[in-house]
Amino acid sequence: MTQTDAFLAEIADALGADAVNRSDETIARYGENTMPGGDRPPAAVLYPGSAAEVQAIVRAANRHRIALYPIGTGNNIGLGSRSANLAGFVVVDLGRRMNRILDIDDRLGFAVVEPGVSYQMLHDELARRGDRLMVDVTSGPPQGGIIGNALDKGAGYTPYFDHFGSTCGMEVVLGTGEVLRTGDGALDGQDAANWHVSKYSFGPILDGLFAQSNYGIVTRVGIWLMPRPPAIRSFHFTYPDDADLGEIVELCRPLKLSNYVPTLFRVGNDVYLCGSESVSPTYPHAFTDDARRAMRDRHGLGSWTVSGAFYGASDAALEPQIERMRVHFGRSGKARYIPHDEAAAIPALEVAINAFSGHPSVGELGLLKWRPGGGNTWFLPGTPMDGRIANEVQDVCRQIYVQHGIDYMVMNVCGARFARGLHVLAFNRDDPDERRRADACYRQMAEAVARLGIFVGRAPLDYHDLHMGQAMPAFAQACGAIKQALDPNGVIAPGRYGIA
Amino acid sequence: MRTNFTSAQLADPAIAEANDILQSCVHYGFCTNTCPTYVLTRDENDSPRGRIDLIRGMLERGGSPDAREVHHLDRCLSCLSCMTTCAVKVDYVHLIDLARSHIETAYRRPWADRMMRAMLAAVLPRPRLFLAALHLAALVRGLSGLLPARLRPLFAMMPDLHPDILVPQLFRAEGARRGRVALLAGCAQQALDGRINAATIRVLQRHGYDVVVADGAGCCGSLTLHMGRQAAAAAAARRNVGAWMREVRGAGLDAVIVNASGCGTTVKDYGHLLADDDDARTIAALARDVTEFLAGIGLRPAAAPALTVAYHDPCSMQHGQRVTRPPRDLLRSAGFKVVDVPEKHFCCGSAGTYNLLQPAMAEALGRRKAAHIDSTAAQVIATGNIGCMVQIGRYAGRPVVHTAELLDWATGGPCPAALVGIEPAPARTDATLHVPDADTGIW
Repeated sequence: MTQTDAFLAEIADALGADAVNRSDETIARYGENTMPGGDRPPAAVLYPGSAAEVQAIVRAANRHRIALYPIGTGNNIGLGSRSANLAGFVVVDLGRRMNRILDIDDRLGFAVVEPGVSYQMLHDELARRGDRLMVDVTSGPPQGGIIGNALDKGAGYTPYFDHFGSTCGMEVVLGTGEVLRTGDGALDGQDAANWHVSKYSFGPILDGLFAQSNYGIVTRVGIWLMPRPPAIRSFHFTYPDDADLGEIVELCRPLKLSNYVPTLFRVGNDVYLCGSESVSPTYPHAFTDDARRAMRDRHGLGSWTVSGAFYGASDAALEPQIERMRVHFGRSGKARYIPHDEAAAIPALEVAINAFSGHPSVGELGLLKWRPGGGNTWFLPGTPMDGRIANEVQDVCRQIYVQHGIDYMVMNVCGARFARGLHVLAFNRDDPDERRRADACYRQMAEAVARLGIFVGRAPLDYHDLHMGQAMPAFAQACGAIKQALDPNGVIAPGRYGIA
Repeated sequence: MRTNFTSAQLADPAIAEANDILQSCVHYGFCTNTCPTYVLTRDENDSPRGRIDLIRGMLERGGSPDAREVHHLDRCLSCLSCMTTCAVKVDYVHLIDLARSHIETAYRRPWADRMMRAMLAAVLPRPRLFLAALHLAALVRGLSGLLPARLRPLFAMMPDLHPDILVPQLFRAEGARRGRVALLAGCAQQALDGRINAATIRVLQRHGYDVVVADGAGCCGSLTLHMGRQAAAAAAARRNVGAWMREVRGAGLDAVIVNASGCGTTVKDYGHLLADDDDARTIAALARDVTEFLAGIGLRPAAAPALTVAYHDPCSMQHGQRVTRPPRDLLRSAGFKVVDVPEKHFCCGSAGTYNLLQPAMAEALGRRKAAHIDSTAAQVIATGNIGCMVQIGRYAGRPVVHTAELLDWATGGPCPAALVGIEPAPARTDATLHVPDADTGIW
């Protein structure tokens, strides 16, 4: 009997046979992902039903020296899906049974959720309770997990866009098997009244240790919710030229510094916006500028389109603010205004309206069919909200995309001081040459933007080691030292985010 | 997904079509979390992605499917939630129909299953025969415990009957005539609840449309299609296409109105079922769900019964036809307060003959749906498919009506019997419309 067999037998004894899955189909599916590097089949999949069962798994893993890989809903598409960072790990699928909304406080505006709670589930539950609160959603899969996205530093578009920043109070099973409650939850032996309402309590803020790391398995999180506004009106401006990105960024910055516009800005390029509605007409060749112009004409969109929204008591009350945006973005005379009602009928812009409204939607998933074969991975650098730098990064990345025959597909999500650039690399995963080119494109961009002083905000599993290698040695050493303290046997996702 | 069919296999158009569909799946797996059976069992083979893999193996191997493959494919509801979610738009509906057709011809089911399926395929599409069977069933209801277990669900779910089987006829428009439409009178629906057609006809007449129940039109073919009986389904479709084309070429038709969304999905797909028939494409293009059509012509509400309505999206409507806004918009414009049902993308477990053939799974889904509906503040449930009405009616503690019945009522028709005596919710003011509770947020 191998160590893995012994470990799984112990888990089956403790949690029941149904909690362990080693079927061929399951192993194959949990190993799949969309990245260039290939699949990583696990040794088994476990389904705990509580924090206590997670503790039992972690303690047994320590005894048998088994590498675990926890997942929530497994929708981390483009960055790893639900596959582990190495083949042969045991996946701990928290989403199957730990998918309860434990609490919703309508007055204080927060929910407490388990890892299997998706945006759709919380949205539906809030709607059922009267639709007074809204959860900030991504524009990605509605079945994406609230905890998983927050811990990977995902983001949405409403004022509560910062998903990790909107968490408050966690329950974590550490690599040692101990349960830790962060923040006010640390108050011993009590029901902590402030656990999910105060981030800054006694002692160091430990919550950040569990974002993009492998120090513990988060089993419960408080998430803040915004009151749903009675009226939401979006505005959209489309610009004709690639270099207009700089102007857009310059115009967005003051609106966010003062928070005059409450949402983040979505600044999407032509292929990103139109791609969700079509497939590449030039595939297997790269998309040409002529084809790009033709697609823009068909969709009535330019090279870059910026979207934002206002919240208020009524549509009429928001009209003056919309008019002010028309003046603001109309200054150079290059932008074409697309009003809310017209945008609602354009699928690519309806995605923005849904996101601003806290409604999960599937519209943007269509991007993933731009090329056949299902390959896609995401390069996620950011820039300061400076139009010159934004254009400089655009130029660098555009050239690298072209060099590798991949189509430039980017959404810049703009805040006050920083914009995250969601660079999609869509490729045919069945074609070894395209896989190689996508991989080379990613690596070259990572190196090129680093020379401009730019790091990534999130990363696909394939590139965790690459990016940790870009960090200063002291950072890697500090991460390793914390790993040693909280998970001395390295049983939780060893190597994830480059932390061994 | 890579496939390995031989060139001889690919010479079969059905296999060629399946091959194209199979190759389009890239295993993202978004479909799994929105698949009701996968969510209940967490078995990969009960997910669309798993089933696609099973179908690939079954068709590549050829010959008789194994019982395990049939078990998991039979458990598919054909709710098409996966198609809404799928990023690469895998044409799952046609793949599962191809698979069912293959099973029907290449697999020998246990005799009880064969009998059950043959009976359903023979009886359900024929409303008079179905009604006779329902009456017979009512007589022996008390003895259902003596029946084979396979048949008991049939008796357990039998609703109160309100049959009204329409003969071919023309219902003339009231007032100024705006156009002429055909109504698919349906099959099982007429035996179970004729009030739905009556309400549909009244509301169309009231809005200026002649409504014809065409001579020769009958079951749309959906029930047999989803049981793998492709030939029977195609024959039913041909009959309907012929009947409606006679109307098109005669007095003309602005639309073919369907008020059972399961049927609507099939009629809208006649161009695929009868691929070499131009008339089928014409009819498919004319097909409209009744709410889709009414939203297009504009509703003229006469009264505003301010009930709170939980609108249940039938899968065939939201995933098959992608018609989600018209029923809500119409109900709101008619004065109802419309609330969504949590987990609205999920099937209620009806799914044509599914609740008869897979009663355990159907019951689990029915109870789940009812719990979600009961969690809302709705006074009444509205939906657009007779199957959902029967299924939800079994488990939910609220009256269930067809959307057309509410729209008929709101535009001058009778109050649906199930709603007599239900008091409207307190009238809403502009203030309550636009300003949520002050302790939630200020705007």
